[in-house]
Amino acid sequence: MIDHETIGLLLKGINNVTWQSIVMLGVSFVLMYLAIVKDYEPLLLLPIAAGCMLANLPLSPLIADDGMLKLLYNLGVTNELYPLLVFVGIGALTDFGPLLENPRLILIGAAGQFGIFLTLILALLIGFTPNEAASIGIIGAIDGPTSIYVSGLLAPHMLGPITVAAYSYMSLVPIILPPIMKLLTTQKERQIHMAYSSRKISARTRIMFPIVVTVLVGTLVPFATPLIGMLMLGNLMKESGAVERLTKASAAEIANTVTLFLGLAIGSTMVGTDFLKPSTLAILVLGIIAFAVDAGAGILFAKVLNWISGGKVNPLVGAAGISAFPMAARVVQRVAQEEDFENFLLMHAMGANAAGQVASVVAGGVVLALMGAGG
Amino acid sequence: MENLAWGLQMTVLGMGLVFALLALLWALLMLVLYLDKEPKPPMSAHESHAEAERIAAVADDAIGAQVPEPPTVNGMPADLVAAILVATMKHKLTLRRQAAPIMRTYWPGSQLFASRWVAAGRARQNYTWQPRGR
Repeated sequence: MIDHETIGLLLKGINNVTWQSIVMLGVSFVLMYLAIVKDYEPLLLLPIAAGCMLANLPLSPLIADDGMLKLLYNLGVTNELYPLLVFVGIGALTDFGPLLENPRLILIGAAGQFGIFLTLILALLIGFTPNEAASIGIIGAIDGPTSIYVSGLLAPHMLGPITVAAYSYMSLVPIILPPIMKLLTTQKERQIHMAYSSRKISARTRIMFPIVVTVLVGTLVPFATPLIGMLMLGNLMKESGAVERLTKASAAEIANTVTLFLGLAIGSTMVGTDFLKPSTLAILVLGIIAFAVDAGAGILFAKVLNWISGGKVNPLVGAAGISAFPMAARVVQRVAQEEDFENFLLMHAMGANAAGQVASVVAGGVVLALMGAGG
Repeated sequence: MENLAWGLQMTVLGMGLVFALLALLWALLMLVLYLDKEPKPPMSAHESHAEAERIAAVADDAIGAQVPEPPTVNGMPADLVAAILVATMKHKLTLRRQAAPIMRTYWPGSQLFASRWVAAGRARQNYTWQPRGR
C-alpha cells in the first residue's frame, strides 16, 4: 500500500512550487524567446535562461552545494575566471586598426564612460551602498565581461540582474541608440562628412599596441590589469600571427565553452527569492539610464571636437564611444546614411568604438581602484 | 547629502582619471605612429567603408556582439530564396497558360494567352494564300 509519506515524497516537487519560482520560470521563458526568436545575444541569453529555469525548478539539486550549477559558479565566477577568458576571445576578434589610424578618437571613448559615474550617484541617492552603486554604474560600460568582473568583486549578490541588464542592453543597441543620436544632433550635423586618414598601420605598430596599452594601463591602474591584460593578450596573439591555433581556439572553442559555463552560472544566481526584489527593477532602470547617458556624453563630446576642429567631426561618431563593438559603429553608419546616402562614417565610428572598448576596461579598473577592491 | 558629495567626488576623480589615462595613451600612440611612419595612398570613402565592414564582420563573432541575423534557408538568404520561388512560380504559370487549349477558359487555360499551337494555327488561318490583287 502507498502510505502518506510516499505520496508526500511523490508530490514533494509540486508542494515546493512557490510564486517566485513560477515568475522566474516566466522570466526564463522570456529570455529564451528573446534569444531564440528575436536573436538577441543568443550565445549568452540562452544559457542564462536555461540556468535560470533549472535553478528555479522546485528543490533543484543543481544549485545545491555540490550541484552542477553551483560548481560552475564556484569554478569561474567567484574567482573571475570566466569574464577574463571571454576577454581573450574578444581581443582575438578585435581589430584596433581604425583606432590606430585616428588615435584622437580615444578621447571619445573616455567621454563615453560618463554614464557609469552619473548612474553611481543616482544609485547612491536611491539608497544602494557605495559598492552596489558602483556595480550598477558599471552597466554603463556596455561591456558584459567588465560588468561581470566589477560587480563580481564589489557586489556578488547582484551579479544576476547586472549581467542580464548589461547583455540585454548590449543587444538592444540598434534600438536604443538611434533616438538618442537624433535627439542630440541636428540634421546638418548628421550630414557632416569626415576625411580619411592616409596613415598605414604597420604590423610592427599593431603588435606594439597591445603591449604598450597593457604596460601603461597595468602600471597606472593595477586594478585593470586582469581585464586589459587578457583583452590585449588576445589581440597580441591575433596581430602577431605567430600562434594562429591559439588565436582561433581563444576566439571560438574556449570562448564558446566559457560562455556556456558563464551563462549557466549567472542564470543559476537568478533564484526567485533573491531576484524578485524592488532592487532588481531599480538595477534595470538605472542600467538603461547609464547606457543613455554614456551615448549622450559621447555625442556631446564629439560636438565639442567638431567645434574645435571647425566642423570636421560628425557628432554621431560620439555615440560609438561605448563598448558594444562593432554594433554601435554600425548603428552610427546606418543613422548617418539615413540623412545622406553618400556619407561613409563606419571607419571613424569603428575607431571610436574600439576606443570605447579600451576605455570601458580602463573605467572598470578606475572604479575598482576608487572602491579599493580587486587588486 | 553625504552620499551625493561622495558620488560627485567619485565622478570628478573617476572621469578625470579615465581622461588622463586615455590622453596619455593617445600621446604614446602618436609617438609610436610617428616613429613607425608609413605613408599610404589616400583612401576613398567607398574603400574605407569596405575595409571597415571587413573588420566589423570579424568582430561580429565576438560574444556580446550578436545582432539579429537575417533569416536563411539552407544557407541562402531568405529574401533571395523567396525571389527565386516567385520567379519559378511565374515562369511555371506562363508555361501553363501558353500550353493550354484555346477553349479552356478555366484554370490553367486562358483566353488572353493562346497556346503556341493555337497561336501558330491562328497565324496560318490569317495568312492568305491568294496572291494580292486577285
